[in-house]
Amino acid sequence: MPSFMKIVVLILVSHLRQWPLRTVLTIGGVALGVSASVAVRTANVDVLSSFEQAVLTVAGPTTLEVTGSESGLDEQLMTRVRAVPGVTSVSPVILQTAVQMKGGQPGQAIQVLGLDLLAEFNTRGFRVSQPTTERQMIDMIHPRSVFVGDKLATDWNLSVGDEVHLLIGTGGCRCRVAGILHGESAQRSSWERLAVMDIAAAQVTFGMVGLVDRIDLVTAPHLSVDAVADKVRTVLPPHVTVERPTSRTSQVEQMISAFRLNLTVLSWVGLLVGMFLIYNTMAFAVAQRRREIGIYRAVGMTQGRVALLFLIEAGLYGIVGGLVGTVAGMVLAQQLIALLSRTISDLYVPVSAGGAASLWTGPWFTMGVEGVLIGSVVSMIGAIGPSVDAGRTTTVRALAPGDYEASQQLRVGRLALTGCALLGVAGLLSWPGPIQGIPVLGYMATLCLLAGLACLAPLCVTGGGGHRRSIGSTVGLSGVMRTIAVEHASRNPGRNGVTVSAFMVGLAIMIGVLVMVRSFRHTVEVWVADTVLADVVVAPSLWLRGTEIGAVGRSLPQSWTSLLSSIPEVAAVDTYRDVRMTVNGHRVAVVSRDLRLHARWSRYLVRRGDSSEQLNRAAEIGGLLVSEVLADRLGVQEGSILEIMTPSGVRPFPIVAVFYDYSTDGGKLLMDRALYQSLWHDELVTVFPVYLRERASLDRVRDRITEQLSIVTNGGLPPLVISNTELRKEILEIFDRTFLLTYVLEAIAVVIAMLGIVNTLITSVLERRREFATLRAIGGSAAQIQQLVLWEAIYLGAIGIALGLIGGGLLSLLLIKVINRQSFGWTIQMILPIGSLVQAVALAVLATVVAGYFPARWAARQPVVEGLRDE
Amino acid sequence: MVLHGVDLEVRQGEFCAFVGPSGCGKSTLLNLVAGLDHPTSGDIVIDGRSTNTLSSHDWTTMRREIIGIVFQAFHLVPGLTAEENIALPLMLRGERQRDIAVRVDELLQQVGMSHRRRHRPGELSGGEQQRVALARALAHRPRLLLADEPTGNVDSHQGAEIMSLIRGLAQAGGQTVLLVTHSAQAALAADYTWTMCDGRLVSRTTPSTQAVRPS
Repeated sequence: MPSFMKIVVLILVSHLRQWPLRTVLTIGGVALGVSASVAVRTANVDVLSSFEQAVLTVAGPTTLEVTGSESGLDEQLMTRVRAVPGVTSVSPVILQTAVQMKGGQPGQAIQVLGLDLLAEFNTRGFRVSQPTTERQMIDMIHPRSVFVGDKLATDWNLSVGDEVHLLIGTGGCRCRVAGILHGESAQRSSWERLAVMDIAAAQVTFGMVGLVDRIDLVTAPHLSVDAVADKVRTVLPPHVTVERPTSRTSQVEQMISAFRLNLTVLSWVGLLVGMFLIYNTMAFAVAQRRREIGIYRAVGMTQGRVALLFLIEAGLYGIVGGLVGTVAGMVLAQQLIALLSRTISDLYVPVSAGGAASLWTGPWFTMGVEGVLIGSVVSMIGAIGPSVDAGRTTTVRALAPGDYEASQQLRVGRLALTGCALLGVAGLLSWPGPIQGIPVLGYMATLCLLAGLACLAPLCVTGGGGHRRSIGSTVGLSGVMRTIAVEHASRNPGRNGVTVSAFMVGLAIMIGVLVMVRSFRHTVEVWVADTVLADVVVAPSLWLRGTEIGAVGRSLPQSWTSLLSSIPEVAAVDTYRDVRMTVNGHRVAVVSRDLRLHARWSRYLVRRGDSSEQLNRAAEIGGLLVSEVLADRLGVQEGSILEIMTPSGVRPFPIVAVFYDYSTDGGKLLMDRALYQSLWHDELVTVFPVYLRERASLDRVRDRITEQLSIVTNGGLPPLVISNTELRKEILEIFDRTFLLTYVLEAIAVVIAMLGIVNTLITSVLERRREFATLRAIGGSAAQIQQLVLWEAIYLGAIGIALGLIGGGLLSLLLIKVINRQSFGWTIQMILPIGSLVQAVALAVLATVVAGYFPARWAARQPVVEGLRDE
Repeated sequence: MVLHGVDLEVRQGEFCAFVGPSGCGKSTLLNLVAGLDHPTSGDIVIDGRSTNTLSSHDWTTMRREIIGIVFQAFHLVPGLTAEENIALPLMLRGERQRDIAVRVDELLQQVGMSHRRRHRPGELSGGEQQRVALARALAHRPRLLLADEPTGNVDSHQGAEIMSLIRGLAQAGGQTVLLVTHSAQAALAADYTWTMCDGRLVSRTTPSTQAVRPS
């Protein structure tokens, strides 16, 4: 084997010298594919591990956490829990968000942790740098004292004794830095970016007197944690949950699993297209070296070793591509992490970006190994076919003069039949439902669809199977070049089919995702236009920053209702409350509002019946309206009874209607505010939708609202007074931001496909140097040669575009009707975004021409004599 | 290969052959005359016109208008049929379809390939391919035919036929022919033969000094 490896190295080096550009293109394609995969994986892992780390670091020795609704837990419950045998320590926790105010403008959001500092100073895994004074203890528990993490102190340029202005909820708070926190662990610690207050100070600051967000328990080490948890549950109200700290991470993981899975699958598209590129490169390499293979076989190299030679070459491309791709992926991940955490925070739970520094000090070796593995495995899979073909080379024929490849006829017809069969299978696989909530068969249908079209590509390249053209019938000079180009391209359905397939896959995915996203956006636009009807929405000052600002930051006092109603031009004020709860194991948004008022002024897009009637009926009988996503997940429909855990126990609710909703992935429940308040005793409001009288001046009302409410915000920022138009715009901006990631991944796949076309054309030009030289010798001009190569690119590109359009259309159907429906449960109205499709096709045409231009120019500039000598 | 002190004049309608050992510069000379290669010094005058100042585009026009080339390795475009290959130079000149069809028919008949007109190069024997290549070289009625080892890739019988065709067709068309060959037999078709060695013209033999001439 060592001597064989020596031969391999010798041969590879000679090939590398011979075709450096093609090698670079191939490695570049693999690297791009790997980079997308590594970036998404790194970003996914980083965002989730940041969340997990934050949970676990802050949890410290805690073995169980007691949590209630978003409005908090009564602190008296601690007394009951303390009495449970096996519970050795009970600590109150407040975990809220504050925003730094800088020059009157809101800045970075931070998490503020309220702890019983006197009891827990040395138990949570942090230490404090605080001046040793007589007032040390008093400073610690002072209502305005805050301890800030060392990274935060550095970023904000704070030291002990400085004042920091924080925006908390609707009000402001000027706190004093009492000390700097340091994480005790040598690893990255979440303490570095946290602020800590004493529990009593936090209760006052966040308006939670008598309440806590969580109660942390430490159980006796010799007892089973689950057994103690069961005992604790017996002394608590039924809606209160008792679970291990780690389960919060798993909940989040489960919540965002469909989102992450779809993103991951999309990131694999680049690898799939990269696989085509490798296949293409290796198939060309085999064809070009057929004589060389014949010589190897003649001098005693076995079939297996010939095949291995090509596999190793592909593997090496994969290794180098994997390494380059890992580095590129880590760089790309820097951008993705910020984008991903923003999207997850917008849609699910507040998560923080891991931070660039942490990424570069992260598991580099593991990522590198993974990247190299992905690259080499993908490359070697792509190279299996050509390698086997190389091994099976008939020595005599390879060494004989003439075109070996011409004697190897691809069974285009049989391949096309297989393609049709695969398309049929794709159709069948799209019918059944998801498997454990994952559209496994939908993904398989997508693969079958793309594979089916790829199998049809060679037939399309031949122009429908053996159709012979005559240049005698063509008119004009460009017609001659076009015919020669088409003739040449169609003579090689095998290799050109692969190029077309790679381009088709990239384009189909681009078009499929484009149609899906545009259809989705159109659906959301219609939904927003039909349901967001309030003239003005009064919201917390940082409401548009999504869940990032925490529960208190997303709440307003109910007392503002009368304040707003007192403005003469205001016709009605609704009180909209949006909290997250776990219903039958699903984290859902529970929305409460005045249903009768909403029935008068606005509507929900209900699946059956009239919106007003259903809303009034729900208010009357204490029923629920359920979003279609949740109805599907819970397996309920109109008329079903849904049992929900409330603070006073399990209570059955009749489901009056199911409505279309696109505001949350987890699903939404809607109930009358009076019913919600009677059961959950939550007086807070999330936003106030305000309806104006006819001919009221929007600007004047906005000014009045801002003026009146800024008086009551206690030095904080005045609340947002958002007009209907602004709100609709904001909703669509969040939507666009969510799909930005998709566009990035899609673009990578298209670029790889373009590399495929460039690669094919360059190789084709190299291979046909003699033909071009002959044409030049008999009077063909350089421009005509250029034209010839361009025509070939256009021919292949046109087939790729046609198949890409068909594939994209079918793929969009699969995405909308199967994968999206099964992953998220949303009904999307499919539209054909003609403008966007024309743009996509124009981009593809441009890509084809650009990909063809450089090889064409190169071909035209080749010396004629050398070309004629070329054998 | 570098040519040294090559100074010769070939008159309109003459058939001149160049013989000599491999690497003596025969093909280089032909490439220079065809404008496929360019001399570092000296001048080539074709049809009374110096070629020193010709651009690449001018040479392309020259090959399209007055030069026809036959290669040892045929160099037919593999994807095109025999008749399409012959039509190619005419199409490159932008001639009318009807005229092209007439000329292609005429040439196919002249080279005896009418029955194989729709066959592609891969389906033709070496001799047949060279006939098509000759027809292609003569398609646009060039005044100068350059033939580089036209019998090099065919057997002796077919070689004799090819040479006979070149001689006959060139004579009929009044073309000047420059033939490069290894074969003394092939050189017999020429009006006179230049022997080359190490890039120089060594001797010139005329038909009267040659023992045998082809029929």
